[in-house]
This record gives sequence, structure tokens and C-alpha cells, in this order.
Amino acid sequence: MDSPAAAPTTGRSNGAACIYEATGLVKEFDDGQVHALRGVDFKIDEGEFVAITGPSGCGKSTLLQLLGALDRPSQGVLKYRGQSLGDLKDPSAYRAREIGFIFQAFHLLPTFTALENVQIPMFETSRPLKERREHAAALLASVGLEKRLHHFPGKLSGGERQRIAIARSLANDPSVLLADEPTGNLDSENAHLVLDLLLRLYEERKMTVILITHDPTVAARAKRVLRMKDGRVDTSA
Amino acid sequence: MNFFSVVLRGLWRRPVRTGLTLLGISIGIAAVVALVGISHGFESGWEQGLKQRGTDLVVSNISTALTPKPFAAEMRDRVAKLPEVAATSELLVEITSIESSEMMMISSREWGAFGWQHLKVLSGRLPKDALEPVVVLGQIAAEVLKKKAGDKIQIETEELTVCGIVDGGAVVENGCVILSLELYQKLSGNEGKINVIDVRAVPNLSRDAMRQVCDKINEVIPGVKAMMVSEHLSTSQGYKVIHAMSWGTSSLAILVGVLGVMNTMLMTVFERKQELSILLALGWRRRRIVQMILSESALLGFFGGIVGVGLGALGVKLLQAAPAIRGLLSPEISPGLLLFSVGISIVVGVISGLYPAWRSSRVRPSEALNA
Repeated sequence: MDSPAAAPTTGRSNGAACIYEATGLVKEFDDGQVHALRGVDFKIDEGEFVAITGPSGCGKSTLLQLLGALDRPSQGVLKYRGQSLGDLKDPSAYRAREIGFIFQAFHLLPTFTALENVQIPMFETSRPLKERREHAAALLASVGLEKRLHHFPGKLSGGERQRIAIARSLANDPSVLLADEPTGNLDSENAHLVLDLLLRLYEERKMTVILITHDPTVAARAKRVLRMKDGRVDTSA
Repeated sequence: MNFFSVVLRGLWRRPVRTGLTLLGISIGIAAVVALVGISHGFESGWEQGLKQRGTDLVVSNISTALTPKPFAAEMRDRVAKLPEVAATSELLVEITSIESSEMMMISSREWGAFGWQHLKVLSGRLPKDALEPVVVLGQIAAEVLKKKAGDKIQIETEELTVCGIVDGGAVVENGCVILSLELYQKLSGNEGKINVIDVRAVPNLSRDAMRQVCDKINEVIPGVKAMMVSEHLSTSQGYKVIHAMSWGTSSLAILVGVLGVMNTMLMTVFERKQELSILLALGWRRRRIVQMILSESALLGFFGGIVGVGLGALGVKLLQAAPAIRGLLSPEISPGLLLFSVGISIVVGVISGLYPAWRSSRVRPSEALNA
């Protein structure tokens, strides 16, 4: 894998506006018996490429759930552009318009073609049918899958599936990409390709990318790394 | 790709299960079409038969049985005296088994009265007089009994001759054995008894005026009831029981369909929990997920309804041809009944989908990351 263009840091870049701000973030499950997050504080600026790393069970995925408004914190505040995500009346609108999700297991719908899978998030927009189709085709072309538009996921390789998932995450032109171990299910060659693609999209679209990874080589390509340990951001790293 | 194709694709995920569920609901709908169609057809066939005989009003004691109770023939004289009555025809009607047919209507009618006038002789002839030991057969009855003019037929304890085959212009008329009232009273030991008086009113009598005639008849003959032709059968207790039974059976079949669809949709929701959570993570609103599940369920109902009306119509055709009941049934499968049945099926689909849809709304989007 290529070495990063610039060494990742644990500090924020200067000058950009804050997109996420977490203060005393706590998340408990099973009536407080499981403590996934034990008081997390951080800030992420607009246009940052941040990798969240840490051992299994440290709370990375829980944090991603909160960033994507898939769940609410038990305590503390997580703000997106100054607004508390916990207070959102319609989290689905935030997920549809502001966020693009990329999952480790791709999570494509098996009975839909690549072109149809990319159109799925567009149901929550007022985009006309024809435009949806054209936009989905353009997104698939941008990830190098223009010849796979009508293929079903089951007929495609893991790398191709993840590229469809990346195209899908861009369907509504989100401000933030949240990626959960995007290379975790790929061989090293495809992992490399997918990471290159993410970096290219990040550069071209000037979006904020937050990815979770175990892999230090993947984390090394991010502009900043947040290390987590035992439900907290590890500031000693 | 529109929302409808998403819904269709959802059903297509498990084609065998979708097909079996669809078959389940379609059997319920087929039962509605067949039973209600038969029940309506019986009613309208009966009415048509009366109209073919030129009857405006029917006087009978039709209570708990399909055929009315006998009463004294002298009652007719009181009816005939009314100024609005142009003619009367006495009948003694029974449904009984005759030779190879388990259920056949015997319609014995006053010799020379208007009840004989509309019969078109297809072969042979009509009886020569009231006591000639002969019968005529409606053409369907002749087919069912495999008789032609000149053959012998066993009625009660006597062997009579089939003197002719007739076209009575209606299924009920064509499906019965017709003979002279006097002869049948003698054969069945019901001398002096009748159970129906067909009444022909004077020309150009309005519907309201006919209703008034009914009231007058009811006053002069206590114990029997005069009714307009269109209301005759529907007021019969026996018919009401058949009607209620057909709806009861249909409802039961529909209930089974509801449970089948509900089971399928619940399994769909459980199996697709991950998919639903992914859709939520991708920004779908819960309302859209609920709409998707309800639409799948309604579509299942719609397709089940379409298949069901086809099966029901086919079933009725087969039933109509069955020797045991041929000539007694003229099922009425109207476009209205078909539309109604498909409508019921869609409602069944929606109702069956309510609980699964509610369950689908409980799926948490965070499960997408845990999967």
C-alpha cells in the first residue's frame, strides 16, 4: 500500500469551521450495564479526513452510529454544524441529505441492480425518476463501474460491490461520508483501490470523511486519526 | 426505478412463498365468488322463472324451508275475487330426488292455467288433460335424467310417461319436472293442497299498486304471504340461511387468507430486518418503510383477488355442470361481484399487513452497522 501523502496527526487543521463537536458523549446499553462510550470529547472540521481507530469493543462503531444519527447518546451532546443531533426531529432527513454511509459488508440490496441500488437513497429527494437514473449512472461511472450498471450484486466481486456502495453513499451529494471498515471485507488489492477512490472523492468533492478502521495502513492515509480506548478518545497517543 | 418496482421486487424475493400465500388468499376469494355468485344466481334464477310463467305476485307460505308449506286450495278463490287480479295459477312445488338425480324440482301446476302457456315444446307434446299420467321435462332436467319423450319416469310410487321436453325460458323452469297439479296431488297424497299461487295482476298496475294488492291478499288469507316476484325468495328463511351460510363460509375462508398473508408479511419483516435497517440508515423515513410493507401486502391481496375470481368462476362452472345440482343453479357472477371480491382481497391484504408494518416501524437503523 502507498505511503500517505502527508503524515496523519491527532490534532485538528486550522481555519475550517467545525462540523462535529462532541462533549461528554456517553452511550450505554442494556439499562446501563454496558458502557460503550464513557465521555467522549472531540471536534471535527469541515473537509477533514479523519480515521477512528482502536481495538475491538472500544466504541468506534457506537460513535459512528451517533455521528450518523442512527442512535441517540445516553448523555452528552453531539452537534452537527452547531445543532444537537440528539434533538433532531427528523433524523432520517439528516441521514438522507447530509450523510453518506459505507458499510464493511457493503449492504447492497441483492434483488436490485447496481443502478437501482444507487437510486435507493434518492427516494427521499424530489429528484425526478429520469434524473435519478442519470445521476446514478454518472455516479457508477465515476467509480469505474459504467459497464456494470445492470449487474446484480451477487454477480460482482467484493471490490466492485464496495464501489457500488460508495456510489450509493454519494447519491444525495452528502456533506459527510461515514465509512465503517470500508476495506475490512476486501483483499489487499481491492482495499487499496477502494481507499484510493475514497481519497480521490474526498479531494474532488471537498467533503468530510470519517472512517473507522482497525488497519493502521488505512488509518495512515487519513489526514487525522482519533484513537479510541475503553470508550474514550485516547489523548495519550 | 419507482416505489412500485421496489414493492414488486420485495414480493419477488421469495417467489415460492409469495405464490403459496397468493394461492391461500385466492382460495378465500374463490369461495366468495362461488358461494355468493351461486346464492345470487339462485335468487335471480328463481325470479326469472316466475317472470317467465307470467307471474306478478306470489302467494305462498315460504318460511323455514326452500319449498313452501302446503295450504288449502280454496284460498285461491279469495285471491281471484280481488279486482286487481287478472288470473291465478295454483301450484304444488317440491324439491325431491328423482331416479338418478338427488335434487330435482317437481313443479305441478293447475292444468289449463297460465303457468303452462309459456312452455315451448321441443319434442313430444304437452299433457292432453289434467289426469293423463304423463309429465313434461324441462330441457336441463331431461339431460340430467337422460330422458326423452316416450321414456318412463318414476314419480313417487307411480311410473309415468315423459310426454314432452320443453323450454321454459329460465334455468329454474328448464331444470324441473312439470306435471298437472291434479295428478301430482293424487300421487303425493296432497289432495286439495297447494303451496303456491301465482298471481297475474291486471295490466299497467304500478309497483306501489301491486304492493297494495299484496297487503289486501295478506288480509284476506291469514297464514300465507303475498309478495312481489323480486322479493319472494329473499324473504324466505331457508334462503336466508343459505345466504348466511355462504357468507359465513366465505368469511372463514377469508380469515384463513388473512392469517396466511399476515404470517408471510411477518416472516418478510423478520427476514428483512437487516435490509429495513439499512434503508433507514440510508435515509428512508419510517413512514416509507411502513408504506412499503403495506403496499406489498395490498399487492399480494390484489393478485390473490385476481387469481381468486378466476378460480371462483372456474369452480362455479364445474359445479354448475355437476349432475347432482344441474338445473337448480344459475350462478350469477356479475362484474360487480368480481370487483367487490378483488376489493375485499385488497382490504384483506392491507389489514393483514398492519401488524407486520407496525413491526417494521420498530426496526432500529443502528442494526445496519451491527449486521
